Amino acid sequence: MASMNMIQALNSAMDIMLGRDPSVVLMGEDIGYFGGVFRTTEGLQRKYGEHRVLDTPIAEGGIIAAAIGMGVNGLRPVAEIQFADYIYPGFDQIVSELARLRYRSAGEFFAPVTIRTPCGGGIRGGQTHSQSPEGIFTHVSGLKVVMPSNPRDAKGLLITSIEDDDPVVFFEPKRLYNGPFDGDPTKPAVPWSAHPKGQVEEGYYTVPLGSADVVRSGSQVTIITYGTMVFVALAAAAALKVDAEIVDLRSLVPLDVDTICSSVKKTGRCVVAHEATRFSGFGAEIVSVVQEECFWDLEAPIQRVTGWDTPYPHAFEWEYFPGQSRVASAVKAVMEPT
Amino acid sequence: MNKHSRLHLPRPPARPGEKPDFSYVQISPAGAVRRPDVNARARDIEALAVEMVRVLDDADDAVGPWHPHLDPAELQVGLRHMLLTRIYDERMQRTQRAGKISFYIRSLGEEAVSVAQCMALRPGDMLFPSYRNQGLQIARGIALVDLMCQLLSNTRDMCKGRQLPVLYHSKAGNIFSISGNLATQFPQAVGWAMAAAIKGEDHLAASWIGEGSSAEADFHYALLFASVYQAPVILNVVNNQWAISTFQGYAGGEQRSFAARGPGYGIAGIRVDGNDFLAVYAVTQWAALRARTGAGPTLIELVTYRASAHSTSDDPARYRAKDDQEHWPLGDPIERLKRHLIKLGEWSEQRHRALTSELEALVGASWQEAVTYGTLNEGPKLDPDLMFEDVFKEMPQHLQRQRALMRMERS
Amino acid sequence: MSQFVFKMPDLGEGTVEAEIVAWHTQPGAVVTEDQVIVEVMTDKAAVEVPAPVSGRVLSVTGAPGDKVAVGSPLIVFETDAAPAPATAPAPMTAPAAVSAALKAPAAAAEDLPGTPIEAGRAGRVMTSPANRRRAREAGIDLSSAAGSGPGGRILRSDLNSTGVGAAVSQAANVAPTAAATSEIKVIGVRRLIAERMSAAKRDIPHFAYVEEVDVTELEALRAQMNAKLAKGEPRLTYLPLVISALVRVLESFPQCNVLYDAARGVLVRHRAVHVGIATQTPDGLKVPVLRNAQALGLWEIAAEARRVSERARSNKATRDELVGSTITITSLGKLGGIASTPVINAPEVAIVGLNKAVDRPVVHQGAIAVRRIMNLSSSFDHRFVDGYDAAAMIQALKELLEHPAMIFILKAKSP
Repeated sequence: MASMNMIQALNSAMDIMLGRDPSVVLMGEDIGYFGGVFRTTEGLQRKYGEHRVLDTPIAEGGIIAAAIGMGVNGLRPVAEIQFADYIYPGFDQIVSELARLRYRSAGEFFAPVTIRTPCGGGIRGGQTHSQSPEGIFTHVSGLKVVMPSNPRDAKGLLITSIEDDDPVVFFEPKRLYNGPFDGDPTKPAVPWSAHPKGQVEEGYYTVPLGSADVVRSGSQVTIITYGTMVFVALAAAAALKVDAEIVDLRSLVPLDVDTICSSVKKTGRCVVAHEATRFSGFGAEIVSVVQEECFWDLEAPIQRVTGWDTPYPHAFEWEYFPGQSRVASAVKAVMEPT
Repeated sequence: MNKHSRLHLPRPPARPGEKPDFSYVQISPAGAVRRPDVNARARDIEALAVEMVRVLDDADDAVGPWHPHLDPAELQVGLRHMLLTRIYDERMQRTQRAGKISFYIRSLGEEAVSVAQCMALRPGDMLFPSYRNQGLQIARGIALVDLMCQLLSNTRDMCKGRQLPVLYHSKAGNIFSISGNLATQFPQAVGWAMAAAIKGEDHLAASWIGEGSSAEADFHYALLFASVYQAPVILNVVNNQWAISTFQGYAGGEQRSFAARGPGYGIAGIRVDGNDFLAVYAVTQWAALRARTGAGPTLIELVTYRASAHSTSDDPARYRAKDDQEHWPLGDPIERLKRHLIKLGEWSEQRHRALTSELEALVGASWQEAVTYGTLNEGPKLDPDLMFEDVFKEMPQHLQRQRALMRMERS
Repeated sequence: MSQFVFKMPDLGEGTVEAEIVAWHTQPGAVVTEDQVIVEVMTDKAAVEVPAPVSGRVLSVTGAPGDKVAVGSPLIVFETDAAPAPATAPAPMTAPAAVSAALKAPAAAAEDLPGTPIEAGRAGRVMTSPANRRRAREAGIDLSSAAGSGPGGRILRSDLNSTGVGAAVSQAANVAPTAAATSEIKVIGVRRLIAERMSAAKRDIPHFAYVEEVDVTELEALRAQMNAKLAKGEPRLTYLPLVISALVRVLESFPQCNVLYDAARGVLVRHRAVHVGIATQTPDGLKVPVLRNAQALGLWEIAAEARRVSERARSNKATRDELVGSTITITSLGKLGGIASTPVINAPEVAIVGLNKAVDRPVVHQGAIAVRRIMNLSSSFDHRFVDGYDAAAMIQALKELLEHPAMIFILKAKSP
């Protein structure tokens, strides 16, 4: 066991996979010599060489396409898109090619590509460094979508994603790189070293996809969430002294419907929380699933806590970001006597 | 606003009813273009990007430094592949018009592009074609029955019913799955080639797009990555003048040849007579050797003419002169190779007719077999359950449920 | 001038609370001592409570249906008759506050453009999915339940009050959901009956024993005896005859004439037979007691049965007259049907029910004959009465009723 922040945990995952599987290659902008703008690939080129950890042109479409070609030729590429905000030039290759290759070739061709990309706000990054576009990718059949909330999950999930022969889009909430963030920007930052999930096994281990984690057991209300909002939800529930059951999805596709439904059937009250914009966000899918599967156990309408339906603003970071008070309002609303 | 627009708009040389005019096509005399060493630097051979490499002259003789000196037997094989491609195309076109398949795309007039290039490559080289490169499938010996079953989406469809007709693939034949999206294969081929290089192998990747598709961003990504990593890849732009109704001027061909973009990226660019079997073979051979020896990628522009409509859904008489093809200055690839072989004494019209009959019979017999595996309206059908497979490696829960719902719908 | 707080009096027998049945006065009224001011109910009996003092009523505590603990303030009087300004009655629970609460969500909703405002649509029940499921599982008709939530929404707590036609708290005194329904509070005798029936069924493992009795001869005897009566004299019904027979039978089956004392875990066997006569009254079912039936002759039984039933029907029966039975008989007379499953009148262990007497074709002495048949539908407490004993008792009763002369023949002296 070692104390690792999320960056170190991700680095460890890639380090282990580069060591275990000679077909694994990393590629992306600034990831090689420089070790990545967030240091997630630090030291890996030095250790494994330039032919396994590749710097690329600033061409997200080219990165994805080249990764596909490499994947078809027996390599196992892990491509970094520097910010999820920049993934769109590669969107065609992801959606039209990577996601469908196995299907259209009846399994004859597939590319085991993992696309890693930092996402999310809370860092004063404005529109081009703060987006959470995970919902868009969940809508594409053939893609798996993952978002860990802590170092321990991040490492295990990244290893699993790399080993997975299906394409995985792996979102890394950048606000959680260095420590859990509970939505309150006025408090001093808490490092991962002070958190139990900052204790990470040093060796190889996996966390399965499609498995949600109940980070807090409770009986009064279920909060289904992922990414940075896990910690916002924990803090909001604690401040309200509500016995909330908080489910960290970790994996959006495949989705752990069983854990979601067990929880909602137990509490009868559900809040869905994510940073991404509200309209047609992934939360809408979760709400639909809960409505379909748990309708007769619902004591109250399901509440959503999300970002507003605006581009991510710079000056209004904390009015935009769904913080504890937005979560608290939703929890209070869902817990009114019915 | 009454001001006259100052925007320049590319114009094709002849619209329907106008006299075809191909004077815009830059043609070099056969044998006139020099053949540099495969290791030449891209910047030193830029002229090849605006000239036109030709071997067969107007008298059907092979001339010049690019003459590949192929065995007549091999030329006959090439002729056979091209003829089979054309006959297959014709038959499938008629089949579509008869309503037996839903859609077809012919490669009429472009047979040399696929066949000659394929023959200049090795079986271990990975091909990333567009939808108009069926000559590759033929040249790599993919069974006609298999191709036809894909067109029929029947129980032996290689794509298990998931793809539009003509979007073939062959893992054994090293032919990548054809996408319905334009140009996406170009940078994928470069990635494949990069992997080959990383692994220290001497396999190549070769890819084909139309000149119209070169407008897509993926064209840029391919050239950029090929240049940056000096990937062992051959990138082919098949300039057949038309992309549906979009004249090559709208792809930038008015101002500069497509091959000239190669030197713009620091890559060797060669422009070649796409209807000249020998020239196409020779240039591809050169590019393959260049890549295999680590001297880098090549962008080849093959100048040809799309003699057919874009697809069975297209009617070219609506946007170009009906007799365009007859005025095309570079002739027909099959006719030219045939005449060359006859001139060499290695072929005859009679043999050509006999071969034609043989290949027609082969196509006919293949079709008879293919339809036994099912057609659009009759015979065995694919199980709709297949719709849910191969979305992921293993079928996840939500798809199992949806499959169950579909089964209920059907019952 | 002083205030006198009158507390709920002890009405006897360890009563700890009484239910207010009706007020006969109201705040502001002037009453004289001994004037009846309120009617309350203990276990079974209604009690009229007289004013302990003369004076003006200042306030009263409790509404009809409310249970007031013995010793808690009931009425506040102002005595010494000094005129005082009539004080306003204590406000009931605030319907005004309720309607204000209902208005508030609408006001808040106005601030939010496009927010759907909660509205109870006419005829549609509003409640959460979980509550719908609960109602469905409990067999509660939601359309007959009143909701205390916003807009008349039915809350879970509304479902938790007693089931169908649930008693609703005062606060939900909003407009009834639709003219198609009306609400009757479960109070008073009805509530007592409900509670006693529930308890009996809950605690006592009932088993039923039904037997048909050929009462042709009994009918003949009854007719004979009625023929001898003068005009205007009350006619003999089956009941006194059955009671007489039952009394004889119980001599041989004393285990059916016991009361179970659950607190002490003993069965108290009574030598006397105090027959409860289930009587339908305007207030509901009551069971007046015919005491010491074993000591009465047929006509005395008849007369006493009439008397106690009448007192029950006219709500004059005292508490003593309504308790103490050791076995109960129930009859629906002409409505009696062919079989029934009467509920035992706890703490007894048996109840005998008379079904309708009708002419039936039966095999009688080897041939088909038309005889008068009356079924006896009895229930027994299976904890304390075995099936054999119950059957034997009913068979003995049947024998007497089929051969009614034997009812009146004294038991043979034991050797």
